[in-house]
Amino acid sequence: MTDSNIDPSAAPTRPRERDLPADRAFVCDDCGARWYYDRRRCPDCGRSSTDAATVRLETGTVVATTTVETTPPDVRAPNHLALVRFDGVQVTAQAADGDLSPGDTVRFDGSHRLRESRERTDPRLLAVDDD
Amino acid sequence: MLLTIRTGMPTDVRVSGVGMTPFESDSRGSLVDLAATAAERAIADAGIDPSDVDALHFGNALAEALDESAGLANALAAALGLDGASADRIENTSATGASAFHRGVETLESGVESGDVEGGEDDTVLVVGAERMSAGDTRDVTEAISRLVHRREYAQGITLPSFGGLAAGAYLDRHDAPREALAAVAAKNHANAVDNPVAQLRKPIDVADALDSPVVAAPLRLYDCCPMSDGAAAVVLTRSDSASRSDPRVAGIASATGTHAVAERPDPLAIDSVSAAGERVFDRAGIDPDDVDVACIHDAFTVLELIELEELGFYETGTAWEATLDGETALDGDLPVNPGGGLKARGHPLGATGLSQIVELVWQLRGDLSEARRVAGAETGFAINVAGFGNNSVCTVLRA
Repeated sequence: MTDSNIDPSAAPTRPRERDLPADRAFVCDDCGARWYYDRRRCPDCGRSSTDAATVRLETGTVVATTTVETTPPDVRAPNHLALVRFDGVQVTAQAADGDLSPGDTVRFDGSHRLRESRERTDPRLLAVDDD
Repeated sequence: MLLTIRTGMPTDVRVSGVGMTPFESDSRGSLVDLAATAAERAIADAGIDPSDVDALHFGNALAEALDESAGLANALAAALGLDGASADRIENTSATGASAFHRGVETLESGVESGDVEGGEDDTVLVVGAERMSAGDTRDVTEAISRLVHRREYAQGITLPSFGGLAAGAYLDRHDAPREALAAVAAKNHANAVDNPVAQLRKPIDVADALDSPVVAAPLRLYDCCPMSDGAAAVVLTRSDSASRSDPRVAGIASATGTHAVAERPDPLAIDSVSAAGERVFDRAGIDPDDVDVACIHDAFTVLELIELEELGFYETGTAWEATLDGETALDGDLPVNPGGGLKARGHPLGATGLSQIVELVWQLRGDLSEARRVAGAETGFAINVAGFGNNSVCTVLRA
């Protein structure tokens, strides 16, 4: 039996992923694998995620898009969304506008509020101009 | 995978009675009243007495979120006079009804719930699913449903219709399918509901109506989405030793989970929980998709009917839309899909939906329905009920 089984003070304090901004993914200290949606262990090597670091996502490629007109209470409408493939993770997140298409290159940008009643802000997906 | 998959082992459980309430936008009476009405109809249909029931499984998804009380299974057992029966509540979001049904089948297969000392021959299980989504105002219900997604998705304002929109856009784009293909699913399912007295939306619509309805999550429009509903459905399950030979048999039932966060699926059009549950159920029932005569598919959004038909092996990837436009999935087609109107038009009271699919299949397999509603000569029925946007799928095969 390990200490954490019996000692409440040894309970792990995991990163609070709900508080992480949209542009950050977790990265495994041991093997470097990335994940975005919470898990207790690295999906590749199984190391505990308790002290996993986070990394800022750079540019990604749009897989699919939608513009939601009927949003839940408190959420601004329209809510432009895109499913985007980044290095090692795939993410659904807000986009700055409804102009994205599959195949576009995007990055996270700015600081925007989604729900009127909450302070939380997130960066949104923005097209990167291809030169 | 740490899974024990039983192969080639159809169950000996039969559905000996079914009943449901009409699905509607705003029912009168309490949640337990609604459930009890469906339960009494199933008990009467089975020709048993409430005291014969050994176990009750009650499916309900949103009671607490909508400020109704917990302890629902006990309240229902008392209302029905099932004193002494074992009872519990099952919750699996949109697939709550099918999960309750799955539990009921397992209860009978395990044989441990018999109320009589003699053993398993007379085991009887009642499974009831009910939801009263009108219990909260639309804002509360929408908020409760929006919290079914992963919390990091919730933080982005993502909802189940958002996933429907992303998948629909990807489907049309990848398969070069016309927008009309989605509208055709809605028009078909509305047409099937017109003559179904328990359906919520019995209004025929055509493809043009669907294409004109307001955008919900582009390219999905209002008529691509199921309504919010009140309703209840119930079944009585019995071991085949005591059941009538004309009672449809549960040839197979299987569940599977998938990723919670939809973005973690490498392909947004591949829903692993659907394909895994489908493979398992066909394996257990010892049949192929080709053997199915009638199917109830979880069409919370029109695009889901197309994707699930492909993931389950009824159609090759990228071809279900053409089959739909060609009428293959209509009531008189090669594979009638959602003959009762589906979630789209029969309605989607979360806890009742999966059981209403079973009720529909039993009516079809027993030949209870009018000619306008009947799939001629149906002997094998299939149902899939899906939680969230593919977080957890439950598949059932019934045989006449």
